[in-house]
Amino acid sequence: MDLKNLQTTIYRLIVAPGGVDEGLASEIGLTPDGLDGILVGEGLLAARERLEIYANAYFYRLIDVFKEEFPATLAILGEENFHNLITGYLLDYPPTEPSILHASRHLPDFIGAHPLSERWRYLGDLALLERTTLEIFHAPDASALDAATMRQVAPHEWPSMVMRAHPASHILEAKWRVDEILHAIETGEPWGEPADAPASIIVWRQNSRVNYRVVDRAERAALEMARDGASFASICEAISAEADGDEDPAALINRLLTRWLSEGLMVRES
Amino acid sequence: MDNSPFLGFGVGLRRPHYAEVLETIPRMDWFEVTTENFMVAGGRPIEVIEGVRENYPIVMHGVSLSIGSTDPINREYLRELKTMARRFEPAWISDHLSWTGVGGRNLHDLLPLPYTEEAVAHVVRRIREVQDILGRAILIENVSSYMSFACSTLSEWEFLNAVADEADCGILLDINNIFVNAFNHGFDAKRYIDSVPIERVHQFHLAGHQDHGKYLLDTHDHPVCKEVWRLYEYAIRRFGAVSTLIEWDDRIPEFSELQAIVDEARTRSESVIRETARHAGEAIR
Repeated sequence: MDLKNLQTTIYRLIVAPGGVDEGLASEIGLTPDGLDGILVGEGLLAARERLEIYANAYFYRLIDVFKEEFPATLAILGEENFHNLITGYLLDYPPTEPSILHASRHLPDFIGAHPLSERWRYLGDLALLERTTLEIFHAPDASALDAATMRQVAPHEWPSMVMRAHPASHILEAKWRVDEILHAIETGEPWGEPADAPASIIVWRQNSRVNYRVVDRAERAALEMARDGASFASICEAISAEADGDEDPAALINRLLTRWLSEGLMVRES
Repeated sequence: MDNSPFLGFGVGLRRPHYAEVLETIPRMDWFEVTTENFMVAGGRPIEVIEGVRENYPIVMHGVSLSIGSTDPINREYLRELKTMARRFEPAWISDHLSWTGVGGRNLHDLLPLPYTEEAVAHVVRRIREVQDILGRAILIENVSSYMSFACSTLSEWEFLNAVADEADCGILLDINNIFVNAFNHGFDAKRYIDSVPIERVHQFHLAGHQDHGKYLLDTHDHPVCKEVWRLYEYAIRRFGAVSTLIEWDDRIPEFSELQAIVDEARTRSESVIRETARHAGEAIR
């Protein structure tokens, strides 16, 4: 057996969902002496037991990482359901990237289509929020626009000033108010099923800390426009067009801009 | 490989200690960073490595080069590695003499290779390619292992030495891994150390492991045991003063506890070197 076939066989046996024995039973390319033709049993441990050390390490290393990345999903599902969920996930989406940070990137979609989502219908949204906070934690840096900088801009330059949403920010669309349940779990408060209400949730990083909150339609429209860079004038137009009529558009623009500046949500493009 | 500087005694930089290291600049000769933890676009990891680099030498220690895999070398990974090295100027770059996946899949583990001439040639070719791309020599580390391949024709140390010699790279010698493997595979740890070329070794790793009765598991979650300390002193007698790093990755203790272990490594190393010098002096008289 050449090196490539050897590694391929070892890989398959390590990730076999039913364990090394089940993996061996399904191997058709092995010689009659099976694993003994590949690995040597030494001292107190047979070859199969030695390979099982790696099989266990593979699964438990990944599940430990996923537990750290999805604490709220884990809290809702409990250990056993979470364990079974990740077992299935790793079969469909085995890690492919050098960094283990990428291993869970398909988990929200996987959960959305998983039978567990019939019992916890908000689970896919919650996992998406948790995964997004992880991605925003490592997203690119940029110098956020602040109020002091804005005050130095001449009033006649404001309309043409191009602003861009901070690269460490992202708006996700949820069918459930999963921001509430995540906040409750993070702060140790009691939690129940979140409201069945669609919400746009912005996740962003400020001073190394990842934050999230719901944005209304007008703010969402403005932030989406700013995602690729937009003039302040066009951002104002987007806010005005989506304002619900209860608030004066100028006051709304002022309120949102003040908030974005204090939260570090914008960078200046030009 | 050219001589690398003696950095002294350091620890692996781990998340629970980030704030303390940045804010109090504790006594430590150097830090080893796990390359992949900082291979991100921005945020806290970058802030941390920049802050640490201002006050300490660092080395970059990777876990995903997968130098022994039969998959093509991941050029994107190497490009990022080179960019990081340019930016943070590590004293050296190291990774493991292992494979982490095949067929585009990653096990996120450090698997041993069969100790064969075929594997030597394969790994040597790849290390040379990596070194050409990075424009510098790398160190390769001996890994802990729990399985041996039936097709192996070389001992672990013969394999390590052949690779380092033919690829002209350095060796990061993990003393704990030698101890663990000596138990798991039934060889003499001192014989291993005696065989490694002195001029190739530029760094030592020390760590703790778990005793599972039938085998030792390299867990990096315990203090260095007395047998590994003795093996470390044995290695110092052979290699002299070598940059030494304490690894601790799970159930991570207070930074002060790591400082105490680092101090013990320093004391033991200096004591052995003084003793060796005294014996040399007596022999000359």
